[in-house]
Amino acid sequence: MNTSDNGFFGEFGGMYVAEVLRSPLEELKSAFNEAKDDPVFQSAFAEEAKTYIGRPTPLLHAKRASKALGGAQIYIKLEGLANTGAHKINNALGQGLLAKRMGKRRIIAETGAGQHGVATAAVCARLGLECIIYMGEVDIKRQHPNVFWMEQYGATVVPVSSGSRTLKDAVNEALRDWARNYDTTHYLLGSALGPTPYPDMVREFQSVIGNEVLEQTRDLEIEAMIACVGGGSNAMGFFSPFIGEKRPRLIGVEAGGNGIAPGEHAVRMDGSGAVSVVQGYKSYFLLDGEGQVQNTHSVSAGLDYPGIGPQLAHLGKEGRVEFERVSDEQAIDAVKFFARNEGLCFALESAHAGAYAMRLAPTLTEDKRIIVNMSGRGDKDIFITARAIDEDNWISFLEQEAVR
Amino acid sequence: MNYSIMSHMIASYPDERTAMQVAKGLSRGGASYLEIQFPFSDPTADGPVIQEACTKAIENGFTLDRGFTFITELMKIIDTPVYIMTYAAPVVYIGVAEYLRRAKASGAAGCIIPDLPVGSDEGMYQISSELGLDCVPVIAPNTSIARLQEILNVGPKHIYAALRAGITGTKTELTEDSLSFLAEVLKYEVKVLGGFGIRTREQVSALDERGVASVIGSYFVERLESLIETDADIEQGMSDAISSLV
Repeated sequence: MNTSDNGFFGEFGGMYVAEVLRSPLEELKSAFNEAKDDPVFQSAFAEEAKTYIGRPTPLLHAKRASKALGGAQIYIKLEGLANTGAHKINNALGQGLLAKRMGKRRIIAETGAGQHGVATAAVCARLGLECIIYMGEVDIKRQHPNVFWMEQYGATVVPVSSGSRTLKDAVNEALRDWARNYDTTHYLLGSALGPTPYPDMVREFQSVIGNEVLEQTRDLEIEAMIACVGGGSNAMGFFSPFIGEKRPRLIGVEAGGNGIAPGEHAVRMDGSGAVSVVQGYKSYFLLDGEGQVQNTHSVSAGLDYPGIGPQLAHLGKEGRVEFERVSDEQAIDAVKFFARNEGLCFALESAHAGAYAMRLAPTLTEDKRIIVNMSGRGDKDIFITARAIDEDNWISFLEQEAVR
Repeated sequence: MNYSIMSHMIASYPDERTAMQVAKGLSRGGASYLEIQFPFSDPTADGPVIQEACTKAIENGFTLDRGFTFITELMKIIDTPVYIMTYAAPVVYIGVAEYLRRAKASGAAGCIIPDLPVGSDEGMYQISSELGLDCVPVIAPNTSIARLQEILNVGPKHIYAALRAGITGTKTELTEDSLSFLAEVLKYEVKVLGGFGIRTREQVSALDERGVASVIGSYFVERLESLIETDADIEQGMSDAISSLV
């Protein structure tokens, strides 16, 4: 079963929200259910997906990388070639069109890495909608290029200074805004989590990724598909058409950060996560012994989140999706490896999936095929990757720029 | 004439000793109910004043053990009914039944958990009625009549009506809309608590005229801040703060 049963995937999901958000969520649910079966809406989405996003994105056979690793053939789904540089735009477009159809002219969104913020701001510019992006102060500092572009697209970026000042706090602020302004405002949530109908809706808009893969691999047998997992939107979209099948293996890669100590990573599915209710849904969360949300760490802002989407939690518990972890350092090594061997610049988030492919490929024979979802490209990460890989030259460049 | 007020405060804020003085002051000054919030890291229904106070309380070592001990100690010295407010995460984490059992054992009169709404309450209303604990549902101006009836079907003794959309803290004008929303709720046999942005005696009086008790939160947190800043007597100051409203 690929859609929720009344908002639940097994025991996970639901609509655990303060009463004020119930009717906006019910309104959104019926609007989405009507739109997704409406050919007019579908063709508007398909047309924009083709001409504005640039779909379909290619599936690349990474021959040199495969040869260098010695094992399975690696294929890479180049979502990073989508307009604005990541898969986030698929969902932003779908929800933007839906908001317009609902008569909501004001869009709010949270962002972590800034990719969802950039995609939302771009779609709002394209569709003529007002756009407010909530972003944690910590993330604003580490993702300045994305802040710059959001503002160029006409969005107002609101810094969030509460709590850990990252993605989860941006979600809190967006929820607060929505509770005040639901009459005029659509909350364009960026991940396959939150209260129902978001997990179903985000997966549906992102399933364009998996549906293209299905088409592009029609004559090929696939051993495994690998995606990074923060909240889970690229993974759910990529896996979506394959969930009901026994094969291929579906592998989600979580952020191993700097180690296994609490606060040093964002790995929920290795037993570190506890079942509870946070931000409107039931799932696995990184909580301390008191049920308080723990701080998380990842070099990639987009994976730096304490909860996992409810459908992935369910698929993980059932064993359909396997979970692995990749450290900050391994992710940066993967950026270097795919740049050198394929001329591809992975986003740090997607590099977690790339790094696991590097681990898996050599354990398989050459006739096996694995697909990595490169959910985004890494231009936005230059302030992190350049510092990590080539610190001296990067710092001296920044110094020269500052006085130029 | 004394008005009925549910006064809100945060356990362990700014520390346990001061919180005890706050509770004593509010009780002595005439609170009809105390709402004591157990801090949670991500309080999405609260505004910045309460979130910041909760963050500090957690940093200062708030734990559920300490929270329940605080209530137990408090109930030895006051007889104002106490309602424990918190969010779903810590409750579902230790188990709803276990949480409610501990709340009851501490002497609390009831619980308020806004993100465990009726129907998604993980058995909270069922278990609390078995325990004789009064769990208070929170409704909003956009709650439909059908939904209101669904909520009343679980048989709450009190219902908390947020008088406007949004979050706690910012001031609420008691508009025709919010008063007509209240009028709808008042048709039913349930005691109504009205809150969100109540901070003046005029508001309290307008609600009282309609038979509605006022819930006052952020205002008291702000009063407490200024008492701390001026190094004033906390218990006396909080008692004065509430007596000027009741």
